[in-house]
Amino acid sequence: MTAYVEECRQEWKRLGVPDLLAEEMATELESDLAEAQADGVSAAELLGESDPRRFAANWAGERGLVREPAPPKRRRIWPWIVVALFLVLFVTWTALQTAGHGSATRGRPVEVTPSRRVSVPNVIGMKACKALRTVAHTVDDWRIAGHPYGSTCDETVVGQSPVGHVIRRDGHPVIVTLRVGRS
Amino acid sequence: MLRGVLDLCLLAVVVDEPAYGYEMTRRLRERGLSTVGEGSIYPLLGRLEREGLVATHREASDGGPPRKYYSASPSGRRALSEGVRAWRDVRGEVDSVLATIEAEVA
Repeated sequence: MTAYVEECRQEWKRLGVPDLLAEEMATELESDLAEAQADGVSAAELLGESDPRRFAANWAGERGLVREPAPPKRRRIWPWIVVALFLVLFVTWTALQTAGHGSATRGRPVEVTPSRRVSVPNVIGMKACKALRTVAHTVDDWRIAGHPYGSTCDETVVGQSPVGHVIRRDGHPVIVTLRVGRS
Repeated sequence: MLRGVLDLCLLAVVVDEPAYGYEMTRRLRERGLSTVGEGSIYPLLGRLEREGLVATHREASDGGPPRKYYSASPSGRRALSEGVRAWRDVRGEVDSVLATIEAEVA
């Protein structure tokens, strides 16, 4: 009898039945088996099951004490749904902001901003080389009119075009033409 | 169907007076049900307890550990009443079917 109950205990332990409940069932079974034996009733007659482990599993299962195997983990998709929702909201919000900003400025007069405003220094009267260094910092290119190959640094700038503020538009470099000569 | 009938028998033997497991087996035998069948009464008692059809309590026993006593709960009494009515209906129908077959065999 004790061996039968001990087998049941092991099975309940294996099945994860809480210890207190397993002990309660073991005590109940042990008392009943002892009383049945005193009456001349065998364990098989009383329990109708010669396999203690099967009996123990059946009893614990019917009492709802056997842990169900954990279901396989499913990939959670709700975080991705939330992220996608935020992205959609963000894109929508950005589009609305842009549209709102555009409509706010639509009423204003169109202001054509120059690509770049260039101030060409007046170098007339300057020595040729110094004049070139000066304008080279502000303009895209320069030309020497007259006889450039024969010019020297000692010569003086006697003419310049353009002078002062000019607008440099894309694709149109500012070129200064200097006329040098001996002063 | 037979499993449900055994549940009714168990409720029937504790509806008036609580009993522990082996005592229930004894009462069943005294009333004519000598073989409970495969699996014994303990798993069935476990299910009845889980479903709230029986209530349990412990009582001291002579010299041994306290015994676990079972009694029919209010919902167990209702289940017993409905079950007995259903069983009697079924029993009458089954008896009619079996009576015909017995007459033919005889």
